[in-house]
Order: sequence, then structure tokens, then C-alpha cells
Amino acid sequence: MTSVALTILGPLAAMVAILAIRYAAPALALLGVGAALIGAITTLVGVAGGARYAATLPGLPDLPLRLTATPLTAVLAAIVAVVSVFVILYAVGYMKEEGGKVRFFAQMSFFAAAMETLVLAGDWVLLLAAWEMIGLASYLLIGFWYEEDGIAEAATRAFLYTRTADLGLYLGIFILISQAGTSEIPRTLEVGGSAAFAASLLVLLAAAGKSAQTPLQGWLQAAMVGPTPVSALLHSATLVAAGAILLIRAFPLFPPGALLIMGALGGVTVVVTGLMAVANRDLKRLLAASTSSQYGFMLLALGAGSPVAALAHLTVHAAMKSALFLGSGVFQHARSSTEFSKLAGIGRERPLVFAGFAVAGLALAGVPPLAGFWSKDAVIAATYESPAAWLLFPLALVGTALTGIYVARTLRLLWKGEKQNEPVAGITWMGAGLSGLVALAVVLGFALEPLTRLVGGELPKDLLTVMLGAGVALGGLVLGWFVSVDSLLGPLRSSAEKGFRIGGGFEQFVARPALAVARATDTFDGGIHRGVLGVGRVGLGLARVSRLTDEKGIDGLIFALVRGTRSLGHRARRLQTGLVHKELLLAVTGGALILALLAIGTLAS
Amino acid sequence: MLQTVFVALFGIAAIWFGVVVFTTSSMVRSALALLFSQTAVGAMFLAMQAEFLGVLQIMMMATEMSIMAIFMVMYMMDPGGLMGMDMTHQKRLSQAAGVLGALVVIGIVFLAGWGSIAGSVPPGQQVHDLGIELMERSMLIFETAGITILTAMIATIAVALERRR
Amino acid sequence: MATLIVALIVGAILFGVGLYGSLSQTNLVMIMMGVELMLAGAMVNLVAFWRFLHPEAYSGQMFVLIVMTVMALEMAVGFGVGTARFRYKGSVEMEEARDLKG
Repeated sequence: MTSVALTILGPLAAMVAILAIRYAAPALALLGVGAALIGAITTLVGVAGGARYAATLPGLPDLPLRLTATPLTAVLAAIVAVVSVFVILYAVGYMKEEGGKVRFFAQMSFFAAAMETLVLAGDWVLLLAAWEMIGLASYLLIGFWYEEDGIAEAATRAFLYTRTADLGLYLGIFILISQAGTSEIPRTLEVGGSAAFAASLLVLLAAAGKSAQTPLQGWLQAAMVGPTPVSALLHSATLVAAGAILLIRAFPLFPPGALLIMGALGGVTVVVTGLMAVANRDLKRLLAASTSSQYGFMLLALGAGSPVAALAHLTVHAAMKSALFLGSGVFQHARSSTEFSKLAGIGRERPLVFAGFAVAGLALAGVPPLAGFWSKDAVIAATYESPAAWLLFPLALVGTALTGIYVARTLRLLWKGEKQNEPVAGITWMGAGLSGLVALAVVLGFALEPLTRLVGGELPKDLLTVMLGAGVALGGLVLGWFVSVDSLLGPLRSSAEKGFRIGGGFEQFVARPALAVARATDTFDGGIHRGVLGVGRVGLGLARVSRLTDEKGIDGLIFALVRGTRSLGHRARRLQTGLVHKELLLAVTGGALILALLAIGTLAS
Repeated sequence: MLQTVFVALFGIAAIWFGVVVFTTSSMVRSALALLFSQTAVGAMFLAMQAEFLGVLQIMMMATEMSIMAIFMVMYMMDPGGLMGMDMTHQKRLSQAAGVLGALVVIGIVFLAGWGSIAGSVPPGQQVHDLGIELMERSMLIFETAGITILTAMIATIAVALERRR
Repeated sequence: MATLIVALIVGAILFGVGLYGSLSQTNLVMIMMGVELMLAGAMVNLVAFWRFLHPEAYSGQMFVLIVMTVMALEMAVGFGVGTARFRYKGSVEMEEARDLKG
């Protein structure tokens, strides 16, 4: 249990320490995620040995918070920890010449801690809390350079999109808890019937929002304005992955109908965002679209009924996509841009980084024997074997081909062009992070077998699909390298580049109404404010009147009294000479008067 | 009868010396006159069988008046009264007040009905009984008087101390 | 009866003399002497009351003791004030002391 706690508390403590000390932030952040990695690996080893950890923490009444370490959560925690370590290692170099290190590394640590919490959460309440923390952390990090134009807007948009979808998660969780009477995840998943169907669709909505599935994919590309390590973490292990992780964990809930919807959604996303990636003119935006597409593959696998394949693809994709982002971050630093037109020829200039980038890209495309080959193969096989193969299998193949095309296109655009040698600061740290992830992208494929066995499933395999998948991937690569985008996509190109916006896109349907509602609320609020001010003004007037009566009336009376007393005192002063004998005489007279009064009183009575 | 004679004798002495206090122009003499006057009052106490009070009065007044004489010599412009200065004011008014006061009190003495007169002092040890009274019923009063004396001593010293800057 | 009357008359006269003195004298010490005489008159009365009216109640003697205490205090405080005044002004003539004039 200590190791589980360490996984969460390591980065959290790092965040606190960074904010408190405000010095040596990178080292502290590394230390934090290092502790998380050690905790996660220890947990994984323990879980592999058959141990199960569970802790119940005091939370809401009757809904205690739970942390659990099952094989699934332990594997996910390990993935998150590994990627966090490499990304923060890279970020040490990436942020070398940027300001705001304290803020950046504190937020990154917070991000990692929140994600570990989400992964290890054993009940919906804690999961929801972690889910929201991730949303907050991503908002802060995407808007890291908030001084620049449009960045705050992009962060707000990402936040709004994911928040809108989060409503689904809230409603779904409400349904589950009210049906099962407990917030424990495994027990709520046993709920069946129409409640399960409704809840699963709502959870799917939330996951689609976080994992940027069609039609909620728009925010992910806008979110590319954040620092590159943030993008890497966002896409591989945290924010976007949270959606897929949620679906993998909630998989037992899904009835067949919901599974079909999920698979179809994933398939559409694979194709649509794949096309967007092919058409894109910006490296990071291309990678963002590719992320949506790859998470679509995971939804495909889940829809085909194979969460193991989805988990395998999630694991491998975490390594590959973060490696790709880290490579693009080096290019971005070298040319101060991520547009392909400015990045031409960067591959020749930085052969080592380019080699790593290319290996990760080829792995993504599914070239044997790199990691992506195994997982994508498993996904394709799963769709082939599923009852809905008629729909899912072709979509998966098209997606594989599109992946090959955009990877090849990216590599071509980066390779062909003029060299310009410009030094990049912090390249050593960035190289370290990158090479670690590239190595993972190469070898992780061979670790999938034991990993899936640990989780308790088997990767679907089929010789036909292996041949077909590899063939399609290679075909896509060849197409992408030799054929230009315009001739490939034809009239689709311009709309794909714009992200297939229908009637103004999601912007029109969600963001505008939300802002309009906000504005109306603001006006309403202003009205209330004015009302309150009016009441205050009336009160002030009353106060003024009462002050007037006070000054003229009561005060006048009191002053008259004071004046009378003073003049009386003035007259009495003459009696007071200050001479002892005179005063003594007065005292004697007074005493005699008192005595006389007493005597008269006695005699009268 | 003998008691009445002694009381009257000592009373006349006390009054005579009391008048001398204000008629002599020498300060030393007036202090001494006051001493004798108070002593005569003490003798009156003795004649009225208040043994303890009589002795106490004589002893206390002896000390007090000698201290008073010293202070008088210190503070008076003309301690010996050799210059014949008139040291009085509003003399007539004061005389009237004094005479009037005395007459009123005497009038009351004669007008008031005094009731039965105790024939003799109860037998026994008077001083012992007074001590019991002091330490039993009137203990609080007695202690309060003691505290008051202490307070007055401290206050007097504080007032009389030379101001230091 | 006669003894009581005599003692009370002596007390009254002592009081009158003291009153005259304290009102007429210009010197602080002399004023104090007048007060002493007034108090002596009061003490004579108290003792006479004790002896001839309630010889069994020692509260009467107690009262006299308290008056003696008051006399001593009056002397002490009076001389303290006198000393301070003498230091400050060089005399204790009350004609000159108008500091308390309102």
C-alpha cells in the first residue's frame, strides 16, 4: 500500500515543495515523478506476484474514497509514471531558457499526481475528483504562455469542450451510484439493464470529450499552443488517455448495443481525424489529429470486445506518441515554429533526433517488428473477430492506411529541404527523454504478451490480419512518401484541413451558446448589482436625513444643555478661590447645613 | 462626685491650653500648649476610667506634638513670635463660627435626653476585654485602620520626596 | 449625670476652639492644630458616652482608637504635603496657596 501511496504522493509532494521552495524546480519535479515511478514499479511487481492492494479513505458520508491496485490499475499507473518521468526529463531541457519554471514544474507534478489518482481510484467519487483535477491541470498547462495572443482562448476552449462532455460522466455516475447503492467501481459495473445502457452512453460521451473523438476533436488541435512536453504528457498518459482509461475500466458495464456505438464512434474518428492528419500543414497539429485517430483505434478495439487490445494499444501509443512529440519539440526549438513550411530539411540537420522521430513514427504506422505493429495488429484482429466485423474491420484497415500515409508524409516533409544549423539549448536533457521513449517504442511490443497475461486476457491474433495490416501500413507509407496530399485527397483536402467543420463546427453549437449564456448571466448579475446599489443609495439618503435631524435636533438639545451647565459652572467658579481657609469655611457651612437639615428632620418626625 | 471634679478640672485645663494654642504668638509655645491640652484630655479619659485610652492618648500626643513642634520651627517664618506678626485672617467670622458651634453643641447636650446613666464600669480586666473586642468583633475595622496607616505612610513619603529629574 | 454633662460641655468647647483655630490661622501647621483640637473634643464625647451610657460595649473605645488613627494619619499626610509645598514654594502660608483655584 505504501508503494501505491508513493505513486500519488511523490508528485504531489514535489508540487508542494516546488511551490514552497521556488528553487531547483526541475530537480524536485524529477524527484517526485521518480518516486512515483518507483512506487508504480513496486506496485506492479507486487501485483504481478499476486498481491492486491486496497485502501479505504474517509470521504463523503457513506461514499468513502478507495484506492485499489489491481493488475489493470497497476499497469496503467506504471505507464503514467514511465511517461511522466521521460517527459519531465525532457522538459528539463525544453524549459531551460523559458521563464516560469516554478509554475510549469509544479503544474506538471500536479498533473502527474492527479492522473495517478485517477488511474488508481477504486470508486467513482475519487475518480471524478481526479478527473476534474486533470481538467484543471490541463487548462493551466495549455494556457502556460497565457500572455500571448489566443492562448488563453485555446485553453478556455479545451476546458469548455471537455467540461461539456464531463456532464456525461456526472450523469452516468449518478445513475450508477443510485442503481448500485455504492460508489465502488467494480460493484457498480455489475448493474445491468437500461440503466447500464444509459450510463455507458453517458460515460462514452465523457470519454469521447476527453479523448477528442469525433465530433469533439476540435479542442485537441487548438490545445497545441501549450509547451511541447505538456502536449506529450497530455496525449500519451494523461488527459486524452484518461478517456480511454475510463472506457477500459468501465468496459464490463457496456452492453452489446453500447459497444457497437462505441466501436462505430471509434471507427469514424479513426477515419475523420486520420484524414485531418493527412491534410495538416503543422507538425504538432498533425500529431494531435493523429492522437485522436489512435484513440479511435482503442475505441474500435473496445467496441470489438477486446479491452486487452485497447490497453495494449494505449500502452504502446503512450511511448510512441510522447516520443514523437518530444522530437517535434526539438524541431520547434530549432526553428521556432511547427509549420511544415518552416521545418523543411530539419531531418538532415538533426539526424539523431530525426532518427528517433522516424523510428517512433514507423512504430506508429505499424511497421514490424516495432511496438505499434503488435498492438495495431491486435486491434485489427479484434475487429476482424468481432460480431460487427462488417463495420469495424474496414474502418480499422482504412485507419491503418491513413496512419501510414501521414507518417510517411511527415517524414518526407521533414527530410526534404535546406539545412539551417541553429543550436538548441538543453538538447542533452531532451535527448535523454526522447531516447528513452524511442527505446520503449521499439521494444515494448515484445512486452505486450506478459503484460496482457498479467491483466488476465489474451491478445487476439490472426495470420490473415497480420499480413493484411502490415501490408496496408506499408502501402500507406509508400503512398504517403511518393504521392502529394492534394492528389490523394482531392476536393477533401481543404475541408479536412479545417477539421471537417459542419455549419461552423462545434464552436457554433457549444462554445457560442455557452458564452451567450454567460453573457446573459452577466447582464442579469449586473442588474442585481444595480438593484443592490439602488437599495444602498436609498439607505444613504435615509442616513443623511437622520443625520440632519440628529445635528439640528438632538445635538442642538445636548449642546444647549452643555452651554447651560458651562455657564452655571462659570458662576460657581467664583465661589472657588483656592484658598484653604475659605474652602474650609464652605465645608463647615455645608456640614452645618446638613446637620440642621437632619435636626429639622428629627424634630419634625 | 470626685470623678466629676476631676473631669471638670482636667476639662478646664484642656480648654485653657486649647485657647492658648491660638492666642500665643510663639509657635513653640502653641505646640507645647497643644501638647498639654491633649494630655489633659488623656487625663480626662483616665478620670472616666478608660485606662487604656488614657495612657495611649498621653503617649501618642507627647510624641506627636514634639514632632509637630519640630516641623513648626522648620516651616514658620517667625517661630519665636518675636516680630508680632498677625498670623490670622477672617478672625471675626472664625470666632463667630467657633462660638456658634460650641453653643449649638452645648444646647444639644442640655436638650437631649440621655436616658439612664450607668453607675459603674463592669468589673474585670478592661484592657483584656478591649483586646478581645479588637481581635474578634472589630477585627476587620482594626485591620483596615492598620492598612490605612501603611498606605498613608507610603503616600506621604512619596509626596514628600524631593523630585528627581 | 453631672459628670456626663461636664464632659460633654468640655468636648463642645474644645470643638469650638478647634473650629475657630482651623478657620482663622494662616499657617498650615496651625490649621492642623485646630483640627487636632476638634478631634480631641470628639474623643472626649465618645469616651463619655462609653463610660456613662454603655460601659459594657467596647465598640465605643474602638471608635476612639479609630479617631486616634485618623489623627495620626492627618498629621502624617499634612506634614507630607507641607514638606512638599515647602520644597516647592519655600513656605506653608495658606494665603499664598491658590493653586486649586478653579
